Amino acid sequence: MTDVREQILARLLEVVAAIPGIRSAYRNNVDLTSEQLPAVIVFDSDEETLTADFLSKHPPGSNSVVQMTPEIVIAEQTVGQVGSALSVMRRELIKGVLFDPQLIQIVRPPNGTIYYLNCQTDVGWMRSMHGALLAHFVFKYSLKPADL
Amino acid sequence: MIDYSALLYDPVFAELGVEATFSAGTAGEVAITVIDDTRAKTAVVGGAQMEVRSVGPGAFARIPELDGKGISRSDYLDAMLTFNGRAWVVRSYELRGSPNGEDLGLVRFLLKEDT
Repeated sequence: MTDVREQILARLLEVVAAIPGIRSAYRNNVDLTSEQLPAVIVFDSDEETLTADFLSKHPPGSNSVVQMTPEIVIAEQTVGQVGSALSVMRRELIKGVLFDPQLIQIVRPPNGTIYYLNCQTDVGWMRSMHGALLAHFVFKYSLKPADL
Repeated sequence: MIDYSALLYDPVFAELGVEATFSAGTAGEVAITVIDDTRAKTAVVGGAQMEVRSVGPGAFARIPELDGKGISRSDYLDAMLTFNGRAWVVRSYELRGSPNGEDLGLVRFLLKEDT
């Protein structure tokens, strides 16, 4: 049984947990306290099969190329400017994900690939300045239903 | 200056509170009093097409009582809390504050099933 999606998500959690300065790393945890910050959360999020017309020309169970977009949230609070702190962790996140040998091996280039898509930020005040950065990466991989 | 612990929290806990045991790490079980705050909870999932109904287990505790019994804030997460015939694990918490100061107020433990 080979579940590439699960392999990616499991390895992704290991990669983000190793970001310097991160105190807590979780998968799909939506409830945190400020004492757990800086934290990084991997959300399984969505995936889709590329090109609908591909599906119409092939029998059920055919291999396809899937694009998944897990969401990674970095949350931090600081006495100073939280944006700068988020920027530092964002750099480490991008480098960590795009150059991780295991993730690259899982997606299997050239059919598979990984790229950084975008990020959004939210800021606010709690005990100190609080900020969160949501980063999207795209993982493209070959889905082989027969291997599931 | 009103003493909220003496005039409000302690009488309320005396009336509504239940016996509980709090255990964190290797510290052993500590007897405390909590107010059961398990609430109905509904998750809307599947692209907002379905509802899953369950409970959101929770419990209120008095921070002065916890401090007095050697339970500090760093002990809260992943501690086991047993009360009303069930055992739970503290997955998160919410500091409720108090007119007498944060350290003299309540904490609401957000709980999950003990596996």
